[in-house]
Amino acid sequence: MANVKFDNITVSYGNHTVLKNFSLEVESGKIVCLVGPSGCGKTTLVRALLGLNKPETGSIMVGERCLFDAKKRVNVPAEKRNIGIVFQDYAVWPHMTVLENVCYPLKKQRRPKDEIQKRAMRALEQVHMTEYAKHLPNQLSGGQQQRVAIARALVVDSDVLVMDEPITNLDAKLREEMLLEIRMIQKRLNATILYITHDQQSALQLCDKMAIMEQDGTLCQYGTDEEIILHPANRFTFEFIGVSNFLPVEKGSNGAVLNCGSPIPYDGEIPQEALAGGYEMGVRPNDIVFDASSPILAKVTSRVFLGSEYNYFLTVGDRQIRVQQSMLDARTRGVADEGETVGIRFLNTRFYPAKKGAQTV
Amino acid sequence: MADQIVLRHVTKKFTTKTLGDIIAVDDFNLSVHEGECFSFLGPSGCGKSTTLRMIAGFEDLTEGEIELCGKLVSSSKKNLYVPPEDRGLGMVFQAFAVWPHMNVFENVAFPLRIQKVNKTDINRRVAEALHHTSLTGLETTFPSDLSGGQQQRIALARAIVTNPKVMLLDEPLSNLDPKLRETMRFEIKALQRKFNFTIIFVTHDQSEAMAISDRMMVCDMGRIMQIDTPENLYNKPCNRFVHNFLGESTFINVEIREGKAFPKGHPEQALDLMVPADAAHEMVVATRPNEIALKGPDGTGFTTHVEKRIFLTDRTEYLVPVGDQLLKVQTPHRVTFSEGEACSVHFVEPMWYPADDAEAEKERHRRQLV
Amino acid sequence: MKRYDGASAELAAVDGRKRLNMDKVMTAICFVLLLVIVVIPIVMIIYNAFFNEGKLELGTFVDQIKEEKNLSAMWNTLKIAIGATILGTIMGVFYAWLLGRSDIPAKGLMRALFNIPYMFPPFLGAMAWDMMFNGRSGYINKFLRTLLGLKTMPININSVWGIIFVEVSYYFPFVFMQVVSALERMDPTLEESARIAGAKQRQVIWKITLPLVKPAISAGALLILTTSLAHFGVPAILGYARGIYTLPTRIYAVIYNSGGSFDGIRQGAALSVMLVVVVSLALILQNRILSAGSYDIIKGKSMRPTLIKLRGAKIPLLVLAILTLVLIVIVPLVMIVLISFLKAYGLPLAFENFTLDQYKTVFASNGTIDSIKNSLFASITAGIVCMFLGTLVAYVVQKIRPKGKGALEVISMLPYAIPGTVLSIGVILAWSGRILGINLYNTIWIILVAYLARYLSFSMKTSSAALLQVHSSLEEAARVCGASHTESLADITLPLIRPAMVSGFFLIFLPAMREVTTSILLYGPYTRTLGVQIYSLRDAGMIPQAAALATVAIGIIIVLNTIVTKLTKDRKGV
Repeated sequence: MANVKFDNITVSYGNHTVLKNFSLEVESGKIVCLVGPSGCGKTTLVRALLGLNKPETGSIMVGERCLFDAKKRVNVPAEKRNIGIVFQDYAVWPHMTVLENVCYPLKKQRRPKDEIQKRAMRALEQVHMTEYAKHLPNQLSGGQQQRVAIARALVVDSDVLVMDEPITNLDAKLREEMLLEIRMIQKRLNATILYITHDQQSALQLCDKMAIMEQDGTLCQYGTDEEIILHPANRFTFEFIGVSNFLPVEKGSNGAVLNCGSPIPYDGEIPQEALAGGYEMGVRPNDIVFDASSPILAKVTSRVFLGSEYNYFLTVGDRQIRVQQSMLDARTRGVADEGETVGIRFLNTRFYPAKKGAQTV
Repeated sequence: MADQIVLRHVTKKFTTKTLGDIIAVDDFNLSVHEGECFSFLGPSGCGKSTTLRMIAGFEDLTEGEIELCGKLVSSSKKNLYVPPEDRGLGMVFQAFAVWPHMNVFENVAFPLRIQKVNKTDINRRVAEALHHTSLTGLETTFPSDLSGGQQQRIALARAIVTNPKVMLLDEPLSNLDPKLRETMRFEIKALQRKFNFTIIFVTHDQSEAMAISDRMMVCDMGRIMQIDTPENLYNKPCNRFVHNFLGESTFINVEIREGKAFPKGHPEQALDLMVPADAAHEMVVATRPNEIALKGPDGTGFTTHVEKRIFLTDRTEYLVPVGDQLLKVQTPHRVTFSEGEACSVHFVEPMWYPADDAEAEKERHRRQLV
Repeated sequence: MKRYDGASAELAAVDGRKRLNMDKVMTAICFVLLLVIVVIPIVMIIYNAFFNEGKLELGTFVDQIKEEKNLSAMWNTLKIAIGATILGTIMGVFYAWLLGRSDIPAKGLMRALFNIPYMFPPFLGAMAWDMMFNGRSGYINKFLRTLLGLKTMPININSVWGIIFVEVSYYFPFVFMQVVSALERMDPTLEESARIAGAKQRQVIWKITLPLVKPAISAGALLILTTSLAHFGVPAILGYARGIYTLPTRIYAVIYNSGGSFDGIRQGAALSVMLVVVVSLALILQNRILSAGSYDIIKGKSMRPTLIKLRGAKIPLLVLAILTLVLIVIVPLVMIVLISFLKAYGLPLAFENFTLDQYKTVFASNGTIDSIKNSLFASITAGIVCMFLGTLVAYVVQKIRPKGKGALEVISMLPYAIPGTVLSIGVILAWSGRILGINLYNTIWIILVAYLARYLSFSMKTSSAALLQVHSSLEEAARVCGASHTESLADITLPLIRPAMVSGFFLIFLPAMREVTTSILLYGPYTRTLGVQIYSLRDAGMIPQAAALATVAIGIIIVLNTIVTKLTKDRKGV
C-alpha cells in the first residue's frame, strides 16, 4: 500500500479546463473521499491517476513510483500502473463467469495457474461471493456485481484502490450495506482507497479523510470528517455539507444586529471582523432552537411533521429560515403552531462573507 | 364529515406461477372522509397499489365492495363494476403518463373534449388549471421538452380540470428529485385547499406520507396494520413493523426481572424505565435514535460509553453499547462526545413490544420476491 | 451516458502513436473494400445510363423514360407498392392490437405463426397462389368454376390486385412486429389515464393508443413500401407472363430480351436510375417521418398492461385470425407440397396421380444439385466475409472514428437503398471485363460480389449496435487490470460482440440462400442459384419439378431457421 501524490495537475478538454494546478496527497492506508458536485473534475482526476487521460502539467506519484510527469515525459500506460478500479457501472465483463472476471488481472500478470485460482478464490471470499464463482454476471443483482468488481480490483495487490461512485446505482438499503463492507475490506487489507462521490452523506459514513472540491475544480478543504463538520474552512464547505440558513449581520448602534429588512439586535457571540460589513451568519436548521427568553422573534409560517423531526419555515423580518426540531426537543419543549410568534436562539453559528446575489434558503 | 370512499371487506387474490395463490389485499375495511388527505403507506407488495387500482376500477374484486361518494361502484357479489371513465375520478401516476403526442394544452383539454364541453369553456377551464399548476405560457409545448416536475404538473392539471371529488395519486413524487418532491408536495396541498377534493395518496416513503396526510393507513403483506394520524402513528405504533417502517428505530431486547428491564447481556444495570404492568418476561424496547438524550455520566440514566462516532451531514450518530447490543443515538452536531468517552443514555417514553417474531419476517421477505 | 463518448476518444489519444498504425491500416482496408464492392458498381450504373463511350448521351435515358411499356411498369410499381403498403399496414396494425392488447387466447402460438411469412421467400408463395388461382388453369379456380357453373375463372391472381394480395400476405409482418413490440413497451398508464379522463375504450384506442404507436406503424409501412418497390419475385411469377410489368421485372425483361447485349444492359441501367429515384424518394420520406415523431413511451414501473376484454367478439375474431393464418401460411405450403407429388401439372389432385418421380428427377439432375451447391457456397461465403468486413467497418466507425467516418457509414449503408436488380446491373457493368480487364461474368464470383455489396449493411448494423453496447469502461477495466490495447480487444470487445457477429452471419446467410432478385441477372450456365433454378424450372413449364425443389428449399430453410433460433437463444451474456 502506498500514498498517492497529485502535484500541480492540469487537465482540459478543448477550451474547457477541468482541473487547474490541482495538488493533493492521499495518505497510505486511509480511505479518502473525493467529494464535490457533479462536473467538478473528480472523475477526471482519477482517470488521470489510472492513465486513461493525459494531464497537461504536473506529476502523479504512487509511493516512490512516478506514474506520470509532464516535465520528465513519464507516462506509464494504464495496464502497467497497478491501480485497482471499481467503476460506477461495475464494468464486470458479461461474457465471463465471476471467477473468470476475478482471475483476469492475474492471468495478465502471467501468474502460475494454481496461484491464480487460490488468490481469486480468496478475493471472492473477502466479498462473500465464493458461492457465485460459476455464475455469469447477468445472473447477479447489482450489489453482487459490484462485489465482483471489488474482488477483481482486490485480487492483485494494487498500490491503490480507486472507487468511482461505486454505490450510486444501488438502492438505499444496499448502499448502506456496501459502505460497511468497503469499510471492513479496507480494515482487513489496510488498503489505500480513493473513493469518488458527489454524495456527502456516504462520504462521511465511509471516509478517514475527505477532500472537498468546488465546482471549478479547486480543492476547497482536505481534512478528517471531524474537521470538516465542526470546522468547515469556508462557506462552500459549510453549504455543501448540509442544509443551511444565512442571515446578514451588521454593526448596529448598540452592538451587532441581524439585518432582515429592519435591524434585529443580536446578543450572541460574533467575531469582530464579521461586523465590518458584507458578512452573513450561517446556521444549520437544527441549530435553531425555540427559546421564549430570546429577543429574536420569528413567526411560524408552516410546520410539517416528518416523523423524525418537525420542519418549520419561520419568518424573521423579511427573511425566511428553515428550522428542524427533533422529536426529542418537541417532546421535551413542545412544538410551535403555525401563525404563532416564537423566540429563537441560534447555536453553533458561523460567519462568512456574503455571496453576490445570495439568497437564504 | 361524510365518508366519501368506503371499502368493505375488499379482498384481492392473484394466482402467480412461482408462488401459487397470493392474497394481495386481505379484507380491507376503511372509510375516507370528504376533503381528507389519506395515504396508503407500505413496502412494495403490501397491497397499496392494488387497492388503489381497485378503487380506480382497473381491477375487479375477489370479494367485497367499494363505494364512491355514496354510490356503489364495485361489488363482487353483484358483479357490478362501474368502468373507470364513469367513476368521476382524477388520477396522477408515478410515470406521469402525459401523452407525448399532445401538447400541454391538448393534454389538459382532453378530459373536457371527451365530455364534449364547448370550446370557450374548455379554453377557460384549461387556462385556469394551467394557472394553478404554474404552467401558463407552456400551452403549445410538448411534454418531451419539459422537465419531470413540469410533466407531473401537466398530469395534475389534467386531473383537476374536470373538478373531480376524489383524487388518486399513485406515487406521484417518486420519479422526481428530492428538492422538487418537497415543492410538489406543497403544491398538491395548495391545490387540495383550493379545489377541495379528497386525496388518496399511495407511497412507500414514510416521511412524504407523514408530511402530506391527515390520516394514513400502514399496510404490510396485504393486511392493514394501523390507521391513524401521522403523529399518532409515529409516536404510538401498534407493532414493531409499523415502528420500524415509520422511521429509523432502535430496538433493545430486554429481560424483565422484579419489575425492572435489564438489557440482554448486561444483567447488573437496569434501564431507567417504567416497565408496563402487562410486560412478558422478554420484551423489546423500541425508540428512535434522535429521541434518546445523550448526557455526561451523572449517575442518572443508563451509564455506558461511546463506542463509535459517525458524522452525518445534519447530525452526529453515536453507537453506544447497551448490554450486548449497540444502541444508535443521533444528536445535533453541537452535542459532541469523542469515541471511548463515558456517557449516559436517557429514553423518553419508549414503546414496548413482545420479543421478535422471526416467522413474520420470513413471510415478508418471501412476498417481496413476487 | 455522455461521459463515455469523450472517454473512448481520451483513451485513444493516450494510446498515442503505437496504436495509430493499426487503426490506420484498418481504416484504409475499409475504404478500399467499400470502394471496390459498393462504389464502383454504383458509379458504373450512373455512368452508363448517361454516358456512352466517354461522351454524355442522354438519348438512351430519355428513350427509356418515354417508352410506354416502361411508363406502365412504373405506374404498376407504384400501384402495387402503395396498395400493398396500405393493406399490409391495416392488417399488421389490426393483428398487432389483437395480440398485444386484447384477451384473445393462444397468443404465443399465433405470434409465432404470424412470423412465418417473414421466413419464406415470397416468390414461392406467389408460385403457390399461381397454382391455385392462375387466371387460366388455377386448381381452385377450376374447382370453383365447375362448382359455380361459371364460364370464366372466378379469380385471376395474375393481376395487379393478385400481386398486391400476395405481397401483403408476406409483408404485413413488417408492421405487425414493429407495432406489437411498441405496444408491449408502452407504459400502460398512458392508456389508463385516458380512461380516468373519461374516455371509453374505443376512444382510447383512436386517440391514445394508435397515435402513440404511429412511429412504429410508419416505420413498418415504409419498410413495406421500399421493399415492394424493389421487389422482383412476386410480380415476376404472377405478372411477367401476362404482360404486367413492374420496374424490376421490366429491367430483367430488357436485359433478357436483348440476350445480354451491351445495349440491353445500358437500357437496364437507364431504367435502374428511374427505380433508384423512386426508392430514394420513399427512403427520404421514411427519414422525414421517422425523425419527426418518436416518442418516449417506455414503461415506468413494470406492470402488466390491462387487457381489453373482447367479450362477444372474442370467438369471431379468433376464427378470423386463425383463418388468416391458414390462408397465408398453411394453404400455400400445402399447395406446393401437393403439386410436387403430381405426375404432371394440370392433372387432378387425386391420389392415383401422385408420385415421387419429381423428387427423383430433382436429385438426379446435375443442374439442381449444382444450384444447391452454388447457393450454399455463395451464401456461406458472403455471410462469413460480410460478418468480418461489416464488423471491421463498424469498429472503425464506432471506436476509431477517423476523418470521413460519415462517408464510410453512408457508403456501407448505400446498397440498402438500392434494389437488388439494379445492383446486379452495376455488378455486371463493373466486373465483365470493363475494369482492369477483370471478367467475372458467368462465374459464381460475380454473384458473390453482388451478395457482398447487397448484404454488407446487415452485418455492419448488427455489429455496430453490439459495439455501442460495449461501454468503454469495460475496455478500460481490462486496461487497468493489465491488458494491452490488443489484448483488451481480443479478450473483451471481440468476445462481447461475437454473438452479434454470428447473428449477422445468419441475417445474411438465410436470405442469400433463397435469393432470386440479384442472381437472376447474374447467373451463367453453371452458376444457377437455388432460387434461379426454381424460377427457371417453373419458367420452362416443369411446374411439379419446380414445386419439388421449392419443397426441398423450404425444408432447408426451416431446418436452418430452427438451428439459428437454438443458437441465438443459448448465447451468453451482454
